[in-house]
Amino acid sequence: MTATATRIEVPHAPTPDLGLPAAESVIETRNLTKRFGGVVALDHLDLEVPRAAIGLLGPNGAGKTTLIRLLLGLSRPTSGSASVLGMDTGAEGLKIRQRVGYMPESDVLPSNATAADFVGHMAEMSGIPKVHARQRAADVLYHVGLDEERYRLIKGFSTGMKQRVKLAQAVVHDPSLVFLDEPTAGMDPSGRDAMLELILRVYRLMGMTVVLSSHILEDIERVCDYVIIINGGKLVLSGPIGKTAVDTQEIVVRINSDPQQFMDRLATYGIHEVRLATKGLVTPYPELIVGHGSDAVYDAIRDTAADLGVPLRSLRSRAHSLEEMYLNAVEAGALELESPEEQADGD
Amino acid sequence: MAIEGQYVPVGSSDGAFGEVYDRGYQHYEGSRLGRGHAVHALTTYSMRRALGSKKSWTAKVVPALMYVAAGLMVVIPLGIRAFLDDASVVEYWDYFFSIFVVLGVFVATIAPEMLCNDRSENVLTLYFSRAITRMDYLIAKLVGTALLTLTITLVPMVVYWLGRQLLEDSPLSAMKDNAGDLWRVVVMSLVTAFYLGSVALMISSFTGRKSIAVAVIIVAFLVVSIFSLTLTEVVTDQDVLPYLAILNPLRLVGEFSYGLFGQTMEDTEFGKPLSVWAYAGAMLGTVVFCCGVMYWRYVPAD
Repeated sequence: MTATATRIEVPHAPTPDLGLPAAESVIETRNLTKRFGGVVALDHLDLEVPRAAIGLLGPNGAGKTTLIRLLLGLSRPTSGSASVLGMDTGAEGLKIRQRVGYMPESDVLPSNATAADFVGHMAEMSGIPKVHARQRAADVLYHVGLDEERYRLIKGFSTGMKQRVKLAQAVVHDPSLVFLDEPTAGMDPSGRDAMLELILRVYRLMGMTVVLSSHILEDIERVCDYVIIINGGKLVLSGPIGKTAVDTQEIVVRINSDPQQFMDRLATYGIHEVRLATKGLVTPYPELIVGHGSDAVYDAIRDTAADLGVPLRSLRSRAHSLEEMYLNAVEAGALELESPEEQADGD
Repeated sequence: MAIEGQYVPVGSSDGAFGEVYDRGYQHYEGSRLGRGHAVHALTTYSMRRALGSKKSWTAKVVPALMYVAAGLMVVIPLGIRAFLDDASVVEYWDYFFSIFVVLGVFVATIAPEMLCNDRSENVLTLYFSRAITRMDYLIAKLVGTALLTLTITLVPMVVYWLGRQLLEDSPLSAMKDNAGDLWRVVVMSLVTAFYLGSVALMISSFTGRKSIAVAVIIVAFLVVSIFSLTLTEVVTDQDVLPYLAILNPLRLVGEFSYGLFGQTMEDTEFGKPLSVWAYAGAMLGTVVFCCGVMYWRYVPAD
């Protein structure tokens, strides 16, 4: 897989003081283990995660949904402990769920209800009085881009609109932390872009700590500051994305034209270390990986694009250590069996 | 874009064409209520949905017809009584016998609406991600079903009681004299609502498909009724016969109603009636049993 991420820039809003216990880490686990019969879904997981946009990355069946369920207090660990926002998941599951939002991966919306009615109901279920719940539902649906459609029945919504309703119900009670389980699943590229931008707005504008669970590295790279990679229930990596990535001295160029023509033109500027990204996601725009020893390469790329009249879709340094670690995890995980719960939840 | 605070006008037209406001995002700083509020919210929402509120008109047809039928069962006797002083009217203890089919269909319609969609559409996942327990969820659903059932048992009965008193020569003194009937009507309606509601919910908890649940509830009521009647032909022990009425929902509700008003049913298929407490105990025991089964159905797998 080749990272094709372009970081979305959204300004930060101040995070509100919600009177929560002063916790340095929003999520902490100690030897967290979960077994389903003979299958180990999580294996002695030790985490200490700061307030950030957190990416929970792992292949299907890695244990992501199991971890989220444990952190929400919906499932009991076989051994070990976990805390969220300074509260113990075993003893204070209800308190945690008052302060946390959850967007599941599966289809969970009632078809025969309007978006406004259902999101308002979920706000009430989170303890918000009825009169405020309706207002919150209207506001949040506006922010996720469903202002006009909020009085339509959900059964008439597209996949992208349903995902927005799911996001709206997850944030309607203004939680401190929101778990998003595969929020871009089943979406087309433009819908995916829009959802990722929305998630970043939830983090930056709404000031909520976001845990974005995904098996798509690009989604994590575009949105998150911090990444947790798990595979087969084991922790592969946990750390800030900036520190886990190592500059490869390569540039990823996304263009909107014939890549061979672009490569040939680059060669006239003396840039021969160019290759086509081969393991990328399906994308309408070809990507080239250009080696660079100096800033002159950037000028050459710019000039090539100008010469050919080709729009540059994106241009960024390639840092591949995270990507490669993830690829290793995916390859190792290909032989792993999914846990029964993960299969049921469609993780 | 404004991030917090008041809405900020982003364009000005000197009031000629209104103002465009950027709504920004505002954190919620109001009160946050607890589990009780969540259970209340779930109860009222479920009741509205079961009656077809904010759904297509087809979802409203069956409940509406049942309300009309139950209403007619009250209005017609009262009308006859208003014009014919000597006309015999339906007695309170006979009322549930008269409307049992309506009551059965009503409960069989609303109970699946309460549970099946949440299961089939995975809404349970969202509910349990909120600050409620599985028991809270079941309590909300049981209370919601019972309250809706009360609208077809208690409300018409209270109207009927009130109508009968108003038709007397001295309504106020009639109300005072017949206040005992009123509390019996309340008790009868409450116990019956929880009894039928819990049975229907228990059956609904086994499937995510509403149509199947509706059919099974109606068939179950019929089958156990026929079964208990068949047993009365086989069992000759007079000490055992009265207990067979407990298997028969219609008979159980009837015996309880009659017992509560100090009456005895005329037919003797089920032998000499048990005490009203025995029937009340059987109904409440059924409620507890059904709640236990539902809890087992909804208890987490791990």
